[in-house]
Amino acid sequence: MNERALSKKVMRAIRHIRPAIEVSVDDGIVSLDGHASSYDEYLEAGRAAGRITGVDGVVNDLSYPGKPEPCTPEGNSETVATADVVIVGGGVTGCMIARELSRYDLDIILLEKEPDVACGATKANNAMVHTGIGEPMGTLKQQLCIEGHRMYPRLCEELDVPYHQCGMWIVLTPASFTDLPVPTWLATRIGRYLVPRVLLRRAKKLGLPMEQVAVEEVKRREPHITDDIAAAVFSPTYGVTCPYRLTIALAENAADNGVDIMLNTAVTDIDTGNGHVTGVVTTRGRIKTSWIINAAGLHADRVAEMAGAREYTIHPKRGAIALFDSRHNGYVAHCMSLLRFPRREHYKGGGVMVTADGNIQWGPTMMETPHRDDTAVTADDLTTIFKRYRPLLPDLPVRDVITYFAGLRACTFTEDFVIRPARHVEGFIHVAGIQSPGLAAAPAVAARAISTLREQGVILPEKPGFEPRRRRPPAFHESSPEERQRRIERDSRHGHVVCRCEHVTEGDVVAAIHRPVPARTVDAVKRRTRAGMGRCQGGFCLPRIAAILAREHDIPLEDVHKNGDGSYLFIGRAKSLLEADHAG
Amino acid sequence: MQADVAVIGGGPAGLAAALEAAEHADDVVLLERDGELGGILPQCIHHGFGNFIFGERWTGPEYAQHYVDRVHASIIDVLTDTMVLDIAADKTITAVTPHRGVFTVKAKAIVLAMGCRERTRSQIRLPGPRPAGIYTAGTAQRLINIEGTMPGSRAVILGSGDVGLIMARRLTWEGATVEGVYEIMPHPGGLTRNVVQCLHDHDIPLHLGHTVTDIHGTRRVEAVTVARVDEDMQPIPGTERNIPCDTLILAVGLIPENELSRDAGISLDPATGGPAVDQHMETTQPGIYACGNVVHVHDVVDDVTIAAQTAGHHAARAAGDPQPGHAAPVQPGRNVSYVVPQRVTAADTDVRFYLRVQRERRNAAVMVHGDGDLLHEQRERVVRPPEMVTLTVPAEKLQHVKNINVEVHDG
Repeated sequence: MNERALSKKVMRAIRHIRPAIEVSVDDGIVSLDGHASSYDEYLEAGRAAGRITGVDGVVNDLSYPGKPEPCTPEGNSETVATADVVIVGGGVTGCMIARELSRYDLDIILLEKEPDVACGATKANNAMVHTGIGEPMGTLKQQLCIEGHRMYPRLCEELDVPYHQCGMWIVLTPASFTDLPVPTWLATRIGRYLVPRVLLRRAKKLGLPMEQVAVEEVKRREPHITDDIAAAVFSPTYGVTCPYRLTIALAENAADNGVDIMLNTAVTDIDTGNGHVTGVVTTRGRIKTSWIINAAGLHADRVAEMAGAREYTIHPKRGAIALFDSRHNGYVAHCMSLLRFPRREHYKGGGVMVTADGNIQWGPTMMETPHRDDTAVTADDLTTIFKRYRPLLPDLPVRDVITYFAGLRACTFTEDFVIRPARHVEGFIHVAGIQSPGLAAAPAVAARAISTLREQGVILPEKPGFEPRRRRPPAFHESSPEERQRRIERDSRHGHVVCRCEHVTEGDVVAAIHRPVPARTVDAVKRRTRAGMGRCQGGFCLPRIAAILAREHDIPLEDVHKNGDGSYLFIGRAKSLLEADHAG
Repeated sequence: MQADVAVIGGGPAGLAAALEAAEHADDVVLLERDGELGGILPQCIHHGFGNFIFGERWTGPEYAQHYVDRVHASIIDVLTDTMVLDIAADKTITAVTPHRGVFTVKAKAIVLAMGCRERTRSQIRLPGPRPAGIYTAGTAQRLINIEGTMPGSRAVILGSGDVGLIMARRLTWEGATVEGVYEIMPHPGGLTRNVVQCLHDHDIPLHLGHTVTDIHGTRRVEAVTVARVDEDMQPIPGTERNIPCDTLILAVGLIPENELSRDAGISLDPATGGPAVDQHMETTQPGIYACGNVVHVHDVVDDVTIAAQTAGHHAARAAGDPQPGHAAPVQPGRNVSYVVPQRVTAADTDVRFYLRVQRERRNAAVMVHGDGDLLHEQRERVVRPPEMVTLTVPAEKLQHVKNINVEVHDG
């Protein structure tokens, strides 16, 4: 389709929203300019443009009341390093690319603005390794999900990361049909016949195993599931991993294979010359490079803009999850998803999930938000979660929810993955729009990013010493009595329990601090050891973990942070405020 | 190792239970997970401990030291830095410690004295982001009084339980600003003396019928939103107010810490969150006793000590000769949220009941009925939910009774 025709098509699609929106098209990339009366209208225009066949990306420059101003920290232009490839972003995508690229004899630097990897969408992911059955047919994300899912068992085995093929029930109850404009009993009667058949046919087409299971059999295998089930199919290959432990393992393995993981390093600008990338400016200096892989997640559009490669705008969708006390581990045998009709985008995904550690979690929800730091869980989110999932497990006591959290999905308006070279800047590869099923797809996303690099002419010589295996440090809570004893005899700190809810020892914490990608913050220790994840939520262990971090990094206690910049835990020594008063 | 009595927890309950057990048993072992004995007391540097037992106004560390010194002078085998991992049905305790590693204690009787933990933000479903600067009151107290570091300079306190009130004063004394104490209930959660001494004396406002509805700040707390609540404790739209602050202190209740008890198969009372016990503080598992805040949350430490002495005494006796007996269940009746003990076995001594009321009343009558007959009545000038009511019923009145009911009537 030529640009004029595409432009007309887009204009037709958004005219009813607001006729004054200016549309321009360049090589399949649609730009929207003008004013929207609200964020909803801004979204509606972006989505309408993104749905059109032939549109490869939507840059949504519409203004709307209250639009947040992006702020970029100040860069440091002094050249500090040279690299063959720079990867921007230390989420599961960036770290997977770093690890896979470390098979080749290249100088690789990974840049992450936070003090740890897995600090963005990755850490608040619901941990499901989807099979691809739930993704829109024919999309890149579905294709890479199916491929990535198949790569998981070996990947997790190599990296010593939990992966359980937990299986998932896809369930229909009368609640699945209450939003339809027909009587629920009628919809249920038709749906219980029709829906399993559609799903089974789709699974067959995709080469995925799936079985229909009689309701009595479901009840036998899941005694706590609601009695209201109308029909159920079982997807036996659904998997679960731990997204942040996987990402930490990938970063550690990449570091072991020579990748320089630069934490606390934000990208502030990208240098180009003669239409080619020449370097990247960061808060910690300039890095000369000819190749940049943009895996910046929520901020991918801003990084692309720095390179002059605006081809999409990210609109975050918040997902909130509620996590139950480990007391209820084993309450369900498999994950559960309740289908709802009509299929609406905000119903996508989510359900009753079982984490790699066995905790039950409900969620996630899906809410659009204009703020890229809006990981708040609202009272409405909790109401929605409880209302939506309680019908599946009516007897699970919601008072045993020990925590809830939210993450932001990095969605583009075309709602598919964007993995391709930038259109007008050589040396810049987009790996953007990685929303669900980004975790499941990650291994295939990395493979595709690397083949894109190769197609662009980057020579990838195999590195003879590549070590695919990484072992995690042994943890007290998962060790046998003999192993515990052996370790305590070697180092008594392995017998000193500092997190009493999760039975994490000082030895575990010290080990996490001295890894190839060291834990520097309280949250980084938590993600590596589980300290603070239990029912007291860190009330007991926080002072102890902070003290160990200060000692091991040889910094004052007051310099220990919860997570990123600004998340200071203490304002100074006791009495410091009184001394300040006297001085003042 | 072997022991007649193993006490789990070296706070005020464990200390008193171990001392009392050592009067009657030869081998008593005290297992404490922290590096020092005393439990939470060493960080409670305010005074007011020991009023009832000693007629003194000691600080927490002084009260603890009184018992710690006696424990060290006794035959009790003290193991600190010792975390109990498991209690098996045959009363074998598995624990870990840096200097011994993983070891077991085969005990004839066990006293559970693990205390309680603070309710967290998630348990009260507080919405908003998760920045640094949100602390439970006890954690903040530990940070200032033990670690010597300040958690913040401008605080809002949610909840008016005693720890919250004490921390309002403590933060003020440290030069921090306390913007106010917000309490969702229409009455304060802590003791009246603490409301007066900690808030009124320091001009810290107490906002009853208010709660925190939102938190602001992604890295560190920048402000909180507070609102008035209606009779159903739901925030009233239009009453929201933003309060700039860098710290939110949560004093929203304490929960008996019963993971070990639950794993040991002990029945818990949903009303207290602790093991259901008889008047000897024996749980539903023969030979396993419990005392202190692990059973129910006490207002004053003196009551903990008294109950712990009962537990220690009977644990030592049980170690020699278990005495099963018929038990009469104790039911909380009108205006009573819970009663401890939850059952009375063949009453050989006077029985001390601890209860909490649901609603504040003046000139109330606390009545104990046995099989429908009034056994005992005690008049109280005022009863309030935050203040535990105790009464002692003579042994002879409780003999041969099959069902006991405790209720509070308006005078």
